[in-house]
Amino acid sequence: MHVNSESILTVKNLTKLVQVEDKSLTILQPLDLNVVEGETLAIVGSSGSGKTTLLSILAGLDLPSSGQVYLKNQPLHQFNEELRSQVRAQHVGFIFQQFLLINSLTALENVMLPAELANLPDAQARGEALLSQVGLADRLDHFPSQLSGGEQQRVAIARAFIAKPDILFADEPTGNLDSKTGQHITDLIFDLNAREGTTLVLVTHDSKLAARCQRQVEMDSGVLTETTKVDDNTPLNQEEFTSNQATDKKNKLDANHKVTQAG
Amino acid sequence: MNNGKITASSMWFRQSMRLLHHELRRGELTIIFFAIVLAVATVFSLTGFSGQIKHAIVANSTNTIGADRVLRMSAEVEPSYLVKSQALNLVTARKIETESMVFAGENMLLTELDAVSDNYPLRGELRVKTSLAQAESVIANAPAPGSVWVEPSLLSRLAVNIGDVIEVGVAPLTIAGVVTDIPDRSYRAFIAGPTIILNIADMATTELIQPGSRLTYKYLFAGESEAIATFEDWLKPKLNDAQRWYDAKAAQNRLSRVLDTSEKFLSLASMLGIVLAAVAVAVASRRYGQRHQATVAIFKALGASIRHVKKLYCLHWALLSCLSIATGLVLGYGLMLLGANAIASYLSLAEAPLTMKPFLTAIITGLLCAIAFAIHPIMSLVQSSPLKVIRGFSQEKTARFGWHQLPPLLALFLLLFMFSQDLVMSMALLLGGILVSFLLLLFGRGLMSAGRGVGTKAGKSWHLALANLKRRASENSVQLVSFTIAIKLLLLITVMKSSILAEWQQQFPDDTPNHYLINISQAQIPELQQFTEENQIANQGFYYIYRARLSAINGEKTISAEDVASQANSSEQGSEQSNEQSQGRRGVGRELGLTWRNELPIENKIIAGQWWQEGDQQGQVSIEQNMAERLDIKLGDELTFRLGSDEFTVPVTSIRQVNWQSRQLNFIMIFNQSVLEKFPTTAISAWSVSTQDRDKVYRFMANFPTITLMDFAAIMAQLNQIIGQVSVAISLILILVVVAGSLVLIAQVQASMEERERELAILRTLGARGKLLRNSVLFEFVALGAIAGLMASMGMEIGVYILQSQVFNMTGSFHFQYWFVGIGAGAAFVGFIGMLSCWRLLNLSSVTLIRRTM
Ligand SMILES: Nc1ncnc2c1ncn2[C@@H]1O[C@H](COP(=O)(O)OP(=O)(O)O)[C@@H](O)[C@H]1O
Ligand SMILES: [Mg+2]
Repeated sequence: MHVNSESILTVKNLTKLVQVEDKSLTILQPLDLNVVEGETLAIVGSSGSGKTTLLSILAGLDLPSSGQVYLKNQPLHQFNEELRSQVRAQHVGFIFQQFLLINSLTALENVMLPAELANLPDAQARGEALLSQVGLADRLDHFPSQLSGGEQQRVAIARAFIAKPDILFADEPTGNLDSKTGQHITDLIFDLNAREGTTLVLVTHDSKLAARCQRQVEMDSGVLTETTKVDDNTPLNQEEFTSNQATDKKNKLDANHKVTQAG
Repeated sequence: MNNGKITASSMWFRQSMRLLHHELRRGELTIIFFAIVLAVATVFSLTGFSGQIKHAIVANSTNTIGADRVLRMSAEVEPSYLVKSQALNLVTARKIETESMVFAGENMLLTELDAVSDNYPLRGELRVKTSLAQAESVIANAPAPGSVWVEPSLLSRLAVNIGDVIEVGVAPLTIAGVVTDIPDRSYRAFIAGPTIILNIADMATTELIQPGSRLTYKYLFAGESEAIATFEDWLKPKLNDAQRWYDAKAAQNRLSRVLDTSEKFLSLASMLGIVLAAVAVAVASRRYGQRHQATVAIFKALGASIRHVKKLYCLHWALLSCLSIATGLVLGYGLMLLGANAIASYLSLAEAPLTMKPFLTAIITGLLCAIAFAIHPIMSLVQSSPLKVIRGFSQEKTARFGWHQLPPLLALFLLLFMFSQDLVMSMALLLGGILVSFLLLLFGRGLMSAGRGVGTKAGKSWHLALANLKRRASENSVQLVSFTIAIKLLLLITVMKSSILAEWQQQFPDDTPNHYLINISQAQIPELQQFTEENQIANQGFYYIYRARLSAINGEKTISAEDVASQANSSEQGSEQSNEQSQGRRGVGRELGLTWRNELPIENKIIAGQWWQEGDQQGQVSIEQNMAERLDIKLGDELTFRLGSDEFTVPVTSIRQVNWQSRQLNFIMIFNQSVLEKFPTTAISAWSVSTQDRDKVYRFMANFPTITLMDFAAIMAQLNQIIGQVSVAISLILILVVVAGSLVLIAQVQASMEERERELAILRTLGARGKLLRNSVLFEFVALGAIAGLMASMGMEIGVYILQSQVFNMTGSFHFQYWFVGIGAGAAFVGFIGMLSCWRLLNLSSVTLIRRTM
């Protein structure tokens, strides 16, 4: 069992610049962030504000231009591609806006993939179980092209949870779906997340979706601001936490996560 | 966790197989598979087949000359040589080879005559069947006097059977059996007719031997190797350059050099197809690499290491290479058996073993295709960044020129070098190939752009089709080049077979000779002359013919190019008679046919000096202009000739220009009467026989069985046969190029499939009807094929022009009727293959189409 108060993701002084032709463009202003185990965090912001860029650095897909990123105490900013791969395989799960299933593999094979990469036993049994949890028990052998967008995203959700990740990153998971399907997908994510006790970092421009997380931060033109709502805006998975724990955590967050804003 | 570890070690394998399993239903791997199979099968069958032929002829037969040593010459041997060999206890056999007509009733046939002594052969086996029902042939020696062994094909061509009598010269001889194996058979490329073996004792009765008859005398020697060596040491200094002394190895070396050359030529020609197959591999694997970017990026995002991803794809590629190379070898073996079957009546390959060479060559070819042409896309695939899952999958355009083109170029060079074994040639072919492709590309691009302009006015489907053709011009250029080459080959074969020869024959005036008479004795001339006068048969008279060597120019001994070459290799073929003089002036290297004339023959023109007066007692020679240039002979130079045992020297008093295309009897060296008249010889003549006189002439000539009458039509038939054989070789290359070109086309269409789907979907949503869509796709390919046909037609005209002007010496002509064939065939074939590869696309319902792409 996780100790809730332990921080799983710590970011210090992180910036991101990209080189566009001769000019260097700042996408992320210097920012700090801390995420503790079991927490659900929403990064909200309008399109183009830098959310995805931040997420890809947090997940070790990309490197920051400066600053430090610790995931499970591992300094991702010092790691090369290979080492970051290892960290991802062991600790990270993903849900993408474009689903990103492998077209030439069946639904079940797609789901099994992370478990296999992390050398977990029983990949197939777990995959089947997860697919039936997302309501696709009868679509195991179907290929992505034979599934609707919502179904594909359900497969992606099953894939995200199979390797029991410590932290799950979701980038606009409902961005490509209609609102009804999006609602269903959101329910599934929070449902499974609560059941597995996974830390969730969710990127969205949808404030309603963000509201279901315990904590929100806002991204605006590369600047990150803490905007955590008042307590009565009950997170969906609050029942999982004792009020004690929640308060405890809340205090910690307030103490530790000062969002820095650079001039 | 033990269970987990086991899973881990085989996990990548299972994942790889899973990907491969699903991948096989897609197109790219199939294309790559077929392309490699094609290349491997071609190389294997070609190399294996020629290797077997070489083995069957050269290596396997213990003896290919019927003796330990052979002395070959154009006259009888000095008796002292035979006395010496007898003294050394060597066994001797004799053989006289010539060509002659044989008759059976109404039928006649030009044959190869081998007159042999009783003890022939001394080494190796002569095998015959004395009845066609006999299953096994038996070992034999020379046939008894009065009888002959014949090659089986003679029976059907003369409509005779074993036991029948045929007339050889004036001698009636009985066919005593058919010969199945001749130890020293000649493998000359195009032998006039079947071989007849007769007893040398009958040669006199045939009356074929006249002074000046064209005969080859062979003396076969066998015995203790020490005795042979002693004889060789004694004999060699005595030989002149008209006499060749060789052993089996030297004969085989000569033969295998010829076989090597033809193998080299065919392999290099097949490079055309192999390059295209490799291009198909390159196109398909680039597409494969692009399509798998997402897979690799997702794998990596989910935590797969580069090593893991590399293993997945290396396994794919290794399996693909092995499978396609193995299939290629099997297919190639099948083709080889077909080839062996096709020549079975001529040469049995049943016992020729397969060497390692074809396997190695084919496997190397397959590996080079699979690796060098796919390494760049696969390497960049493996390097795909996981960040792509976030930032999207761009269709990265690889730079047109760059380091990634080095492996393919290197591979091409290696292949060329492997086939040609010649560094300079490989380099030249590679650069030449690049240049030609570049020119064709440039030209094709121009045509595609021009088509775009025309298309605007030609209706909606055409407009769309030509716009698309132009937009995909760079992708289309490869197919364009390959189909251009294929169609050009097709046209060349067709034009060569049907037009060039006919046109060449038509351009001669009516009184052009169409029959040639050879081996006419002096005594027969008056009678024949009378006959031509009575029947008004046009001819330029009778030419006495003498065979002699040009042995010195201005007192300086000549050597032939052949001798120079054989001296360079003399260590490898030490037993071949090497020339005594290592230096000397450039000579002719063969016997020349000489004649004398009082008047300048027609179609000859003096360009320097003067023609002699009749009765001039001073010896003189007139030389043909090209030969004079080649040997650097000027007016007034003294030329020495060796005719049999005689030698004479005469000054050059004129240089002539000769129209070699006139079909008249033409001579390089013409002398005045006083030089040659004292030597006994036979004459030749060329007659122009009209169709109505034909029967009369043949009936009359039956009275002169020792004279060989050759019908020009028969020579033409033989020429046609040669062209036919060349066409078969070209057709094989053509098929190869067409198949490989189609693979490139299909690969290219697959690569553009998503783009095409998107276009069709957009057009559909805009309300385009199905017919318009289908036609726009069809016309794109039809236009591509038509452009290839057009370029091929132009190429064909250039090729034909070169053939006509260089080989046949006739004025060039256009063959527009074949342009339609070329353009039509191109449009139809490329249209067909294109539609076939777009079949799925065109049959998608518009709903699926739009759903899939929107
Ligand atoms: N590699 C890059 N090169 C140039 N600009 C980039 C690059 N990556 C991201 N950007 C830009 O940075 C900004 C933030 O992008 P992104 O993180 O995708 O925003 P969001 O996910 O919030 O919509 C955008 O304006 C985007 O165009
Ligand atoms: Mg984004």
